[in-house]
Amino acid sequence: MNDSLQDKAALYALGLLEGEESRAFELAMAKDPDLQALVAELSDTTAELALTLKPIAPPAHLKAKVMDSIIRSDSHSGGNARMAPARRSWAMAGWGIAAAVTVSSVWLFQERQRLTREIAIVTNGEAEARAELLDTAAKLASIQQSEATLKQQIAAATQRDDKLNRELADAKSKAAQLAGEIASLLKRNYLAEMQISTLQSTVDEFKQGVAVVVWDSDKHEGVLKLEKMPPIDPQNDYQLWVVDPKNPAPVSAGVVSVDAQGFAKVDFKPVDIVSEAAKFALSVEQKGGVDKVAGPIVLISP
Amino acid sequence: MSTRTPTVQDATDEDLLVRAAGGDQSAFSALYDRFSPPLFALMRQMLGDETEAEDVLQEGFVYVWKHASQFDAARAKPFTWAVMIFRHKAIDRIRARGRRARMEEAAAEMPENLAAAPVSADEAADAVDRVAIVREAVRGLPGEQRRMIELSFLKGLTHHDIASTLAVPLGTVKTNIRRGLLKLRDLVKGGTQ
Repeated sequence: MNDSLQDKAALYALGLLEGEESRAFELAMAKDPDLQALVAELSDTTAELALTLKPIAPPAHLKAKVMDSIIRSDSHSGGNARMAPARRSWAMAGWGIAAAVTVSSVWLFQERQRLTREIAIVTNGEAEARAELLDTAAKLASIQQSEATLKQQIAAATQRDDKLNRELADAKSKAAQLAGEIASLLKRNYLAEMQISTLQSTVDEFKQGVAVVVWDSDKHEGVLKLEKMPPIDPQNDYQLWVVDPKNPAPVSAGVVSVDAQGFAKVDFKPVDIVSEAAKFALSVEQKGGVDKVAGPIVLISP
Repeated sequence: MSTRTPTVQDATDEDLLVRAAGGDQSAFSALYDRFSPPLFALMRQMLGDETEAEDVLQEGFVYVWKHASQFDAARAKPFTWAVMIFRHKAIDRIRARGRRARMEEAAAEMPENLAAAPVSADEAADAVDRVAIVREAVRGLPGEQRRMIELSFLKGLTHHDIASTLAVPLGTVKTNIRRGLLKLRDLVKGGTQ
């Protein structure tokens, strides 16, 4: 048993605990047999201190007053077992009633004992319920604190998530920008390697025709676009030629068929290796084309 | 085989109280004769007033008569039970006077020293005499402990009042009272402290 509880036991034995403090101690004592035993011992010790004083007999009239008081108190209480001697003759006359009262008193006494036990049980239950309530309140406070901590952590994580999302969006934007820059650079590089030639004619019939050749020397291929080309004999075809200074004869790049409006757009690839496309020429050849230029050159690049 | 109800002179305190609870006025009268001298001395000491001591003594014994059936021998001795009743009544009166008044009274009139009562020749001759044992035990207490117990027991001062009167911390008062009572218990029981 701790000192604090012993302090209270000593104060209780001396009658020094008051009000709520005294009731709280009695609750604690009700469920602690050791504490009950200690209080009983200290109460006996305290009471025996009265014996150390020099006894003083109270005035004789005081006893008469006390005895008179108890007789009157019994008289006022309606005539129970504690009747004054002067009234005993009446009691004798009503012996049966007295016996009944005695039985009732015994029953009441037993009933009182039972109620006292029940009150003690209820009191214990109340003390336990209070303890449980305090325990629950403490747990609730702990849970609330944990909840608050988790909310703080969630808020911090959300902030970090938002920041990461912003950084990711920023990075994507930069990547897209870089990709655009790379595409632009590639396109510029591609165009730089392209050779564009416009073919012209000295023949009146073909002067209104427009012919443009885009030549990719790396890929060794090109695109020919014709517009407003005059119709030719159905037995003939236009044929494109690539003039290579290192090659004694122009290299055929295939025949070209134009539509009714004189329009055509074809991809072409020379039949032989071309080291350098110095010029492009368009001739009119027999249907299906020829290996070497045989017909008239109608358009040629400068 | 026959049983005999002891006379009131032979009866124990508990017997008398049980009989009083059953309405036996002669038993109650005998109990009064046994208990009233030490209780009257205690009331006079606590209240410091003859008339008030008589009033409380009368109230107390009427209370004992009316509530004798509530006495529980398993929890206290009859005299202990009576002392608690009378002290509570005296303390109620003292507290009704007001805190300042009772502290001034306590400071002006230190209580009769519990251990100072002269040891009689009978006490000296009879080592088992209960009063002598208790007095000797009180003498065995350290001064501070004895003084604080006297102020609370004989003057009805609370531990707060004692701390103020003696200008010491409340914790010191509680500790001294606890240690003093425990030591007193051990000494009275004959054990070592």
